[in-house]
Amino acid sequence: MTTALERWFRPRLPGPGELTPAAVYWTLAAFLVAAFPHLMAMPPALAATVVALIGWRGMAVWRGWRPVPGPVRVVLTLTLLALVVIAFGASWGRRLATALLCVMLAAKLMEMFRVRDLRMVASVCFFLVATQFLFNERLVYLSYLVAGCWLATQALGQIQRIQVNQRRGQDRQASPGASGTSGLLSVQSLRQSGRLLVMALPVALILFFLFPRLAQPLWGLPEEAMDGRTGLSDSMSPGSISELFLDHSPAFRVEFEGPPPPPQMRYWRGPVLWRFDGNTWQRAFFSDQRLSEPPLETEASIRYRMQLEPHERRWLLAMDHPVSSTFPESRITVDHHLISRRPVTTLSQYDVVSTPDALISPVLTDVQRNMALHLPQERNPRTRALAEELRQQYADDQALINAVLRWFNEEPFYYSLSVTPLGRHGADEFLFDLRTGYCEYYASAFAILMRSAGIPARVVTGYQGGFWSESGQYLLVRQSDAHAWNEVWLEGQGWVRVDPTAAVAPDRIREGSRSVVESGRALRDAGWLMNLRNQYDRVQHLWNRWVLGFDAERQQDFLQRLGLPEMTATQIGLLMLAALSLFLLPLTWFLFRVSGQRPLSRAERAWKTVRRRLARLGLHAQPSETPREFAGRICRELDSGERQLVQLAIMFSQLHYGVPSARLLEQFERSAQLFRPLRRGKNRFPRLSFGREL
Amino acid sequence: MAALGRARSAVNQVILGKAEVVDLAFSALLAGGHLLLEDLPGVGKTTLAQAMSLSLGGDWQRIQFTNDMLPADIVGVSIFQQAQEQFEFRPGPIFANVVLADEINRATPRTQSALLEAMAERQVTVDGQTFPLPEPFFVIATQNPLDLVGTYPLPDSQLDRFLLRTSIGYPSATEERRLLVEPDRRDLLSRFEPSLDPGGVSDLMALATDLPVSEPLLDYIQNLIAATRQHGGLKAGLSPRAGLALVRAARAWSLVNGLNYCAPEAVKAVFPSLATHRLETRPESGLDSAAVVEEILGTTRVP
Repeated sequence: MTTALERWFRPRLPGPGELTPAAVYWTLAAFLVAAFPHLMAMPPALAATVVALIGWRGMAVWRGWRPVPGPVRVVLTLTLLALVVIAFGASWGRRLATALLCVMLAAKLMEMFRVRDLRMVASVCFFLVATQFLFNERLVYLSYLVAGCWLATQALGQIQRIQVNQRRGQDRQASPGASGTSGLLSVQSLRQSGRLLVMALPVALILFFLFPRLAQPLWGLPEEAMDGRTGLSDSMSPGSISELFLDHSPAFRVEFEGPPPPPQMRYWRGPVLWRFDGNTWQRAFFSDQRLSEPPLETEASIRYRMQLEPHERRWLLAMDHPVSSTFPESRITVDHHLISRRPVTTLSQYDVVSTPDALISPVLTDVQRNMALHLPQERNPRTRALAEELRQQYADDQALINAVLRWFNEEPFYYSLSVTPLGRHGADEFLFDLRTGYCEYYASAFAILMRSAGIPARVVTGYQGGFWSESGQYLLVRQSDAHAWNEVWLEGQGWVRVDPTAAVAPDRIREGSRSVVESGRALRDAGWLMNLRNQYDRVQHLWNRWVLGFDAERQQDFLQRLGLPEMTATQIGLLMLAALSLFLLPLTWFLFRVSGQRPLSRAERAWKTVRRRLARLGLHAQPSETPREFAGRICRELDSGERQLVQLAIMFSQLHYGVPSARLLEQFERSAQLFRPLRRGKNRFPRLSFGREL
Repeated sequence: MAALGRARSAVNQVILGKAEVVDLAFSALLAGGHLLLEDLPGVGKTTLAQAMSLSLGGDWQRIQFTNDMLPADIVGVSIFQQAQEQFEFRPGPIFANVVLADEINRATPRTQSALLEAMAERQVTVDGQTFPLPEPFFVIATQNPLDLVGTYPLPDSQLDRFLLRTSIGYPSATEERRLLVEPDRRDLLSRFEPSLDPGGVSDLMALATDLPVSEPLLDYIQNLIAATRQHGGLKAGLSPRAGLALVRAARAWSLVNGLNYCAPEAVKAVFPSLATHRLETRPESGLDSAAVVEEILGTTRVP
């Protein structure tokens, strides 16, 4: 009993030469690179633990530390498990899963004694580096993925080398190249790993084109409340949008059918906010209800294709006012807001039709009217006073609104990105004292002013403007294009859009957020940077469109273009298997043939170079020729280099069949590199021989 | 080493234009084997043997085999010495460093086997008494392949006792002219100075045994042997003993050629003389073993 327990807990010490430092270091490097993006998203304590474990393993190899005893390992692993659960709490999702994978793999480092363990860790690295695509499908990440795979392949190569050396143990003593840390930084082995990756490329392409795409995914990504990703939120309080102004990452891209609409029409509708508690604007309880009668499609309707970046929220952005969309299980709410049933966790493409001049909500229910007029008690007395004053001057709602907008325009109101916290009477402070702010401040104050004057008003958040890529023919809308504006309800006109920011800073609307940011001096000199970003986004756009957007429909198109009939998913799967075996069988056969042969020694590689140079002149070695026989036969054919060839053959013979000597090997490699034979009678510039044929 | 080179060139001075044969003879010597020369009379078999033995500096004996020869004529006899009242062994001509066994196929099988046994055992047993043969001990046997009347051809199993079998063949036109013009070879032999001594030869033999053989070369040797076993035209392939002999001969050849390692050229050089007399072709294949060996050498890859 005790012996069994002891055996269970006793760490198995690595036998002599079992794990080479090179293999362990490369595996650790592969793991670190694969885990890095996840580490950045993890709670810092967890990330630090993973890094510490990697560091410890590296040091243990370097310094030859003893492995951690079994019971300690068990306790540590359980502690780590508990840490993950505590750190993530109840939010079970992708982040938890990948964090768990990272942490458990790090725990595995403590009991990495055998080749099998090492190989397991290196193999999981392939998966770990690919899981980042669950969170980020950007093009840049592809290169990161390639780098990660390269490292993992390199690690696997080093691990394989351990076994090869074990299999011919006697060689280890004989040749110094096989032992210790050699190959730790060998360009040769890196190149070999790269070659392996390139060899795998056709398989990747076959899988990409022929893996059956399903119209509905078999499994959904687990939902997650928020992933720290910037984007519109479902509430608005001073400062909430300002973070977005500095975020130039794309929010979505639009391709229009026909010419793009003018900038002042580019209002991309997001959450509509009704409830105001004195500080924060929030959506109404009915905001998710389906709109019974969406606007009709008219001649003025605009058709376009959206390419929405994942933002972990349920809303889908659309131009005012959406009529229909092709996004699965989506609906238009009573707020004329397009939303989906599930959070958008992957890059999504969908077509939308919008009618800009639709009349929306001509009738307001009592509930809606109450909510659109509600203000917290005893707040903003000066604003209320102004509203009453205006009401007395203008009986007509439209005239009152115009007066307010004029007031915004004529009084010294400024547009600025600086965030100033507002107190209990926020609208008062802003309208009468501060008078400097951005869309959020204006939209909030305007809505309060309208409600005080008895006009139903609400705040609409979303994006405005965007960058029109002339070369790419698409509109790029960035997070920094986030905007907030108002809608007021007028008798007979329904909800009408009013943008108080446009009255203050018309450029912001005409030219987009960039004009404001640049006038804020922050990025004035970085015009070229923006240009670079726009150029890069074109590539990203193509990547999204052709790679990420290669869905079931595109796949069918692709197959039909190849002249294949329409196929079911099963048939496509069979086609994929056929293509894979068509590629893999010859490769297997080739590898099987090669596997029986010894790997080439350094001398043999150099000799191969020599033979290749001669083969280019049409001088080939017979398989049954010895090196010296070959040289003896060939040197008569040479115009220059015959003496070197004989020398090289003698040196190679000595190195290959005799006792190896490092000095001779170096000399041989150098001479082999310098060897440039010329064939007799075959000059580089052949003499022209006219008349011979005549 | 230098002495070996001198001996080799000295023999080449006598046997004109037959450097390969001389190399093979020295290889057989240094590998501790024996040489069988299969040739017509008058091409220089005896001269070669004589030159070899003279260059070694040891004593040499020539035995002309005839069909009335008895084993005792080779190994020697015990004679009763009346003065001492005991038998005294009179050593036969086989007690020499180099023995030229001329026209071995003329002797009866009984006599032949006495020689072959002595070659294999390197000792002679007469009347229950064992007498070791001198070191080095090297037999050059000759046989005439054409003159078959009244001969007893060596059985195939016995041919295995010879490490190498080769033939000298006719000289080329230039060499033949030199032969005709220059003084008699026997005069040259009479003025022959030994370059080596029996002790030196033993040292060289030890040197040859220690010559390194690399993995690729062993691969090559194995491939060649495997090829003989797989060839359809042969009754049977080479035995493991033949493989061992091939390694020994290749080492010796490399040493003779001044290399400090065993080269594939050595394997190629000794393989025909080593394999041809050990292999027997199927009659229906219409091939002779020399052609098969050539074919195998021409198709086996040199690793």
